[in-house]
Amino acid sequence: MKGKLLDLVLVLGGIVMIAPLVWLIVNALSEPIDAFQLPPRWIPHPPTLQNFQQVPGLIPFARMAWNSVQIAVITTAGALFTSALAAYAFNRLRFPGRDQIFSVLLAALVVPVQLTVVPIFIMMRWLHLVDTTVAIWLPALVNVFGIFFLRQYISSIPRELDEAAIMDGAGHFWILFRVILPLARPGLTALGIFVFEASWNNFFWPYIFLSTPEKMTLPVGLVSLQGAVGGGPAVVLFAAITLVVLPILVLFLIFQRSFISSIATTGLRA
Amino acid sequence: MSTPEFAGLDNFEKLVTDGATIRAVVNTFVFALASVVTHIGLGMLLALGVHRTMTRGTKYFVRTAYFFPFLVSWAAVALIWKYVLDPTFGLVNYYLSATTNWLASPTWALPSLIVVDWWHTIGYTFIILLAGLQTVPAQLHEAARVDGANAWWRFWSVTLPVMSPTIFFATVITFIGAFQIFDPMVIMTQGGPDGATRSIVQYTYEKGFQSFEVGYAAALSLVLFVVIMIVTGLQFRLSRRWVHQ
Repeated sequence: MKGKLLDLVLVLGGIVMIAPLVWLIVNALSEPIDAFQLPPRWIPHPPTLQNFQQVPGLIPFARMAWNSVQIAVITTAGALFTSALAAYAFNRLRFPGRDQIFSVLLAALVVPVQLTVVPIFIMMRWLHLVDTTVAIWLPALVNVFGIFFLRQYISSIPRELDEAAIMDGAGHFWILFRVILPLARPGLTALGIFVFEASWNNFFWPYIFLSTPEKMTLPVGLVSLQGAVGGGPAVVLFAAITLVVLPILVLFLIFQRSFISSIATTGLRA
Repeated sequence: MSTPEFAGLDNFEKLVTDGATIRAVVNTFVFALASVVTHIGLGMLLALGVHRTMTRGTKYFVRTAYFFPFLVSWAAVALIWKYVLDPTFGLVNYYLSATTNWLASPTWALPSLIVVDWWHTIGYTFIILLAGLQTVPAQLHEAARVDGANAWWRFWSVTLPVMSPTIFFATVITFIGAFQIFDPMVIMTQGGPDGATRSIVQYTYEKGFQSFEVGYAAALSLVLFVVIMIVTGLQFRLSRRWVHQ
């Protein structure tokens, strides 16, 4: 009986949690005069797609989506590659100063990117990369958390496996790519999902570096649309937000299991 | 930006005499403390609730519903909540029968952002705590039950100690994340009303990229660095007393 009551509280809480998202989608599907009614409507009446059609006229939406995809893919691939190399070196190789360098890296783990934005902005200006997508992915190619996380993961893979490969005359690259990384696949997947999600949703960095609409990513594009809509109907803004949010929610529902376990793994390993 | 000139300690002197800086540091600390309390406290209750025997459907719904907002980017969250909190046609005022202008009120603006942050990020904390909860061996609970320990005592003497590394990780991550808060301030309040929601990072942005006082922005960044280092170091030191290895 007590258990049932608690279930009910949790389910009601869950409904409250998703209410703003439902409200978003219902308003995005409503005619401007029907939107934002009180008491709030929870079913669009009648549903219309006209708000969605107005989005491309106000911001280059497709272009922004492409920029977001491009940056997220390059960042994820780059971060996975450099993290794997560095993690292998820190766990399996012996070289002078290894542990000292790793301690410095650990300290860098608590240094937020926000701290480095001023010096990196100056560097990017010097390289004439401000207001280009390169300025977004270039500094993200090395991911300190990724190195730390994969090093923890690789340290749980038995050394006997690479020792056997060394006996057979294998080099470090062969061991890393043929022995270690296939075994570390769950770790790589978890890190990959994590980095991709962070890049896709990143606002701070693109907001500072990108100013031309054609070069912006979706999160910055949404905020710029808020200005473009101005005093006009907010339903167009809601339609654009829906276009950004809905695909992610659907993807999550499909890949729920690996998504949840990747989040859980990054929490338990680190 | 002009060629840098060595300013000695000028920027730091300005820091301690600038009331806005102190306000931003205080706001950031309030935000960070409130984040940790609400994320870890309510996240733990949520994880315990979901971990109990529940029907599969209920479990699936509850887990998904609380996790969904975490997938939405801060930019989208901030824009949606600007409307949810709108004084005339927002959901919050309608259901609370209130007329408060949350984001324009010096008293309510920061608490509002704390609530929005909780809504957005609890899914992450919740999943990590739930995963930690699942590592607690059932045999330990069984043994404690045989020894006559009640539910509260079993939580205190079995669940919490086994989970302490996970709780520690979640606390450190939440703290560090909260000290870096920027997006909702820029999109929802611009640090206002009257500096009530201005965070350290947002003030750094204002100084560095709006008024182009780069040196001052760099000094502010250093303050954030020192704050995070001190708080994180302190947490590691304190952790020896309560985290089981």
